[in-house]
Amino acid sequence: MLPSFELLEPHSLDEALKMLATSEATPLAGGTNLLPDLRAHGRAGRRFISLAALDQLRGVEHKGNRVIMGGSTTLNDILRDPLMPKAAPSLVSMAKVFAGTMIRNAATIAGNICYGSPSADAIPPLLSVDAEVTLTSAAGERTLPLDSFLLGYKKTAHQPDELLKTVAWTIPAADSANLFYKLGRRRGDAITVVGVAVTVVIESGSCSKARIALGSVAPTVFRAKEAENILIGGPLTAATIDQAALTAAQASRPIDDIRASAEYRRHAVHMLVRRLLTQAWQTSGAKQHD
Amino acid sequence: MNRMENPLAGVKSEKFRQVGKPLIRTDSPTKVYGTAVYAGDLTMPGMLYAAVLHSERASALLRRVDTTRAKELPGVHCVLTAEDLPASQGVMTDMPGQTGGMTKNTKQPILAKDRVRFCGEPIALVAAESVAIAEQAIGLIDVDYQDIDGVYDPFDALAPGAPIVYGDDNVVASYKIRKGDIEKGFAEADVIVENTFTTQYQEQAFLEPEAALAWVDELEVLNIRSSTQVVEHYRAVADAIGLPHNRVRLRAEFVGGGFGGKEVMTIEVWLALLALASRRPVRLVQPRERSFLSHGPRHPFNITHRTGVTRDGKITALQISFTSDAGAYAKLSPYILLYATVGATGPYRVDNLHVDSVSAATNNLPACAFRGFGTMQANLACEGQMEEIAKTLGMDSMEVRRRNFIRTGDANATGQIIRSAVWSDQCATQALAALGKRPENSQTTRIGHGVACYQQSYGRILWMKDSSEAWVGVEMDGTVVVRSAVADIGGGQSSALAQITAEILGVPMKEVVVYFGDGAVTPLAGTSTASRALYMSGNATQMAATRVRENLLGCAGRHFSVEAEELDMNDSQVFVVGDPKRSMTINDCVKLCAAEGVHRHNLAIFKAPTSEGIDPETGQGEVFPDFTYGAHAAQVAVDIETGEVRVLQSIGAHDVGQAINLRAVEGQVEGSALMGQGFALCEELILEQGQLQTRSLSEYLIPTSEDVPKIKAIILESGSGLGPFGSKGIGEPVYAPVAASIANAVTDAIGVHIFELPITPEKIVKALRRKETVG
Amino acid sequence: MTDKKTGMAREKLVNIHVNGTACEITVPAWRTLLEVLRELGHVEVKCGCEKGDCGACAVLLDGEVVDSCLTLAWNADRRSVMTVQGLGGPGKAHPLQTAFIEHGGAQCGYCTPGMILAAKALLDDIPNPSLDDIKRGLSGNLCRCTGYTRIFSAIRAAAQALRQEGGTS
Ligand SMILES: Cc1cc2nc3c(=O)[nH]c(=O)nc-3n(C[C@H](O)[C@H](O)[C@H](O)COP(=O)(O)OP(=O)(O)OC[C@H]3O[C@@H](n4cnc5c(N)ncnc54)[C@H](O)[C@@H]3O)c2cc1C
Ligand code: FES
Ligand code: FES
Repeated sequence: MLPSFELLEPHSLDEALKMLATSEATPLAGGTNLLPDLRAHGRAGRRFISLAALDQLRGVEHKGNRVIMGGSTTLNDILRDPLMPKAAPSLVSMAKVFAGTMIRNAATIAGNICYGSPSADAIPPLLSVDAEVTLTSAAGERTLPLDSFLLGYKKTAHQPDELLKTVAWTIPAADSANLFYKLGRRRGDAITVVGVAVTVVIESGSCSKARIALGSVAPTVFRAKEAENILIGGPLTAATIDQAALTAAQASRPIDDIRASAEYRRHAVHMLVRRLLTQAWQTSGAKQHD
Repeated sequence: MNRMENPLAGVKSEKFRQVGKPLIRTDSPTKVYGTAVYAGDLTMPGMLYAAVLHSERASALLRRVDTTRAKELPGVHCVLTAEDLPASQGVMTDMPGQTGGMTKNTKQPILAKDRVRFCGEPIALVAAESVAIAEQAIGLIDVDYQDIDGVYDPFDALAPGAPIVYGDDNVVASYKIRKGDIEKGFAEADVIVENTFTTQYQEQAFLEPEAALAWVDELEVLNIRSSTQVVEHYRAVADAIGLPHNRVRLRAEFVGGGFGGKEVMTIEVWLALLALASRRPVRLVQPRERSFLSHGPRHPFNITHRTGVTRDGKITALQISFTSDAGAYAKLSPYILLYATVGATGPYRVDNLHVDSVSAATNNLPACAFRGFGTMQANLACEGQMEEIAKTLGMDSMEVRRRNFIRTGDANATGQIIRSAVWSDQCATQALAALGKRPENSQTTRIGHGVACYQQSYGRILWMKDSSEAWVGVEMDGTVVVRSAVADIGGGQSSALAQITAEILGVPMKEVVVYFGDGAVTPLAGTSTASRALYMSGNATQMAATRVRENLLGCAGRHFSVEAEELDMNDSQVFVVGDPKRSMTINDCVKLCAAEGVHRHNLAIFKAPTSEGIDPETGQGEVFPDFTYGAHAAQVAVDIETGEVRVLQSIGAHDVGQAINLRAVEGQVEGSALMGQGFALCEELILEQGQLQTRSLSEYLIPTSEDVPKIKAIILESGSGLGPFGSKGIGEPVYAPVAASIANAVTDAIGVHIFELPITPEKIVKALRRKETVG
Repeated sequence: MTDKKTGMAREKLVNIHVNGTACEITVPAWRTLLEVLRELGHVEVKCGCEKGDCGACAVLLDGEVVDSCLTLAWNADRRSVMTVQGLGGPGKAHPLQTAFIEHGGAQCGYCTPGMILAAKALLDDIPNPSLDDIKRGLSGNLCRCTGYTRIFSAIRAAAQALRQEGGTS
């Protein structure tokens, strides 16, 4: 049973933005975060704006080496996109272990990002490819790095009158690897205990760029930048990788909850970052030798 | 013991035409087409919707429960609190038996009065025009709690000075076994191995939450259609609210999973009260988060084994203690503890044995029946201990098991002589062999193999004097009807009766209709619990069908001028064996019977063996009709960096006596494999100061399709069971060894035993660290 | 019904094609498709959690499988819904149903309606699924009874039957 609410059903983006500007209302996309929340402890009488009819918000555009993904693109859309395994391998690995089929059909990328949960699975992969988000409102549009969009526990830079219109990124360079791993308490349909996405770019045998994004181990998904910096400018030796992984673990601010303790989560970050970086180095290195 | 020989066991057992075959279950099509009706699907004109207010506090006085505002809400028809209840104030949660005997004082208030003892205890009931109104009314009930000291750990509860949950002390039940000479046994031992094993709360997590519809009909009979494992709760409902037994009719609809969680009465009595108060039909479907509060999960157990063994692995003495957390009300805790006590030695013969068991009241969720019923926890400890003994002695654990397996003719822990076949060794050997070769370890994963055996009873405690009735009849057109009040809880309970009847009367199984689960119009069959439905109702059905067959063949024999023994029935024909020309259709035969005034139907009663209980000082005596034996083997891969465990293979091998429906038996083994995997690795109800932290299926995690290993069922048939055609009960037994086999496989993989279930990645990481620092 | 203050529709007449039959019902925005379907008599759509955790309520919405407990009825307006009864029934069973019956894919049967529809969506997407595809396709549908193994084998059998059907016609 859901508490009562009002639902506006705009037919165009402009109409939606006008509604957002003039009335206090919350965007409703797939509803897979909002509806369970409402059912659990929602007060009656809120107002929502359904994004269901706004087709222009949904879909993926591949333009050269740029990928532009509409906010209402669902997790299953990501899996169905034939170009995505190249465009963001980590995002595809993530989508495969995101919830179950029915939720994947409803859950949107914008909903995942804007809900701002530390366990939002789509965010680590997107951070690992330096995604930017474009927010639009009746007043105009702005684009900012996803990294600076995330502010804290369920806190983002999203303003009440804005919609997240697109998420965009540049396809990682050829000599790179982009990996994701989700550790949960069961294999299917689980809330993430630790989520890790990494990108490693290799130029002439040396790591020219690294990204390490971590989920469920801090108030928000974040990039372990200090750890990333350790990797830059040389080959990735076991020692460098381990040092970076340890640094990432130290940068984590996890909590104890019913799924795991903070201590375990930090340990898992260390292990998983080390593992993914090692794999990334090996696979991207292998590509170089081709 | 007054043991009744099964007069029909073994009849034509070698040449079954339908029994044992993987035939399509009679309930399959309706479930697959979506036409099967469950209790929550039922509606009636004028129906009201119920909602329940559950306590938010674990231990508190109820200073005031004010329902004024709720009653004033338009659309609300009645609001009930303890004040409004009949004087009896209690629901009997004692194990219902046909004899109605109540041996433990297990009354529990229907609604809390003056005091709440657990978080979730029902306080008030509402019936209203819609679910929304009922929920709103619940929100308008004002409860003034005054917290009082509670106790949340069974050991704390048993310590002097602990807050008393109810009664005189917090001891809900205790048992002991004193067998042989324990001192002598330990003196004969070369080594003594001692370990403590703990298990967690496990939630049944049936997919269908509690649901029922109740109304008073034109005969002033209170009707309840419910998702229950026990039709005979109609008596408990009647007693609780002061109606004569013949004015309560309880029907069990198709049950969307029970596993013991729908054994003790859940929501039926609430609906009965609301229907009587409102004089309208009332339906309740518990929302999932309240379902967690509406039945009892599996008891957490703490089990210590101190085992004396000789150098060659023979157990010379065993001292076991059990402490279980019963939660805030007794429910079936005394019986579950008894099952653990009787099953303390697992499938092993131990001549010098001490067992001390106690169940403690706490302000936690009251725990209750769950597939395996105490025996599985006891077994888990035995099987873990086998590995530890083997490690200490430097022996193979299967060798230790072989030295100690109980055998036919041996006495078990309570001195009961095992009469049926014991194929533990064959089962374990086959299950292990089926795992095949071990894959190679990788840098970060370790492969482990584990096995566990078990002994699990089927059929109810002998002094409950269990019986089951069944009616079988042939219509004038030759079609067959079975009537049995058995509850169909998804294991193919009604279908098995059709298959047995079809075999005996020689008609296609799908042409048999089984009317089941109606406490008023189908013959009472007892509970669908204790792995007894097939054993008891199968026997009753076999008896009834056999008598109908005798009547039909008698008529046909007179017609063909042959002895009945020369006749057989198949494909809806009655014929002279070896002379196919002399045959008639079953409907012609039935018409002959009718013309001769011979019964075309029979009502049979099957009575289980009985005993008068165990000696309270020694724990010696006969407790169960019989036991099932078998084994489960598992192959796991453990990630030694993250502690994640992947079950790769899960293989159950069981002596089922005789499969009635092969597919249904295999289905039980497979379902158990995954449920046991959940218990071993990821399932855990977490309580903090009595407050349940895991109230949804995203926090309480049962295995998903992604967690499924390669599962295999190996079915052995000794024909030695007490059920129809020599079958044994299997619903619980096949579950009993699973978690232990997985735990043992993990131990094998990482070289450290984790004594505390569930085996989480975190515990593995910690154990490996300890090993590093110690080793 | 329109709210006087905001002028916003609080209730709406929605038109849902359920298993090919047009159904009209006036509902407020907060009613879920699950509630509405069951109110319309489609009690074959089961409810196990009302929050997306179990998949018992799964239906096909314009051919896509969704949890009806997390779908607003308004969102199904002028769209078509298929429940397990719409997939087939006695005498006209869908190959998935036949396979579930023959393989023993249902025990208590409570997960079955949702499970079969998730399987249907899977086979529409991937006609020849691997075991991993099947596992992934069903990970939102909990089953407590079967251990899923017979469900997997039923889906493989149905996939084969469907491919053969497709091949011959
Ligand atoms: C059973 C279940 C399993 C789940 N499993 C996972 C999982 O494995 N991993 C995971 O990360 N999450 C999981 N989730 C959570 C959820 O599905 C995701 O976070 C999903 O991506 C949310 O998207 P939505 O479209 O459903 O969001 P909604 O619930 O519609 O909205 C979420 C928030 O985003 C805002 N919003 C939505 N769209 C926009 C927009 N365009 N512009 C601005 N704000 C917007 C809403 O106002 C709201 O605050 C699960 C949920 C359930 C119920
Ligand atoms: S009822 Fe919809 S997913 Fe459980
Ligand atoms: S058959 Fe019972 S839940 Fe799947």
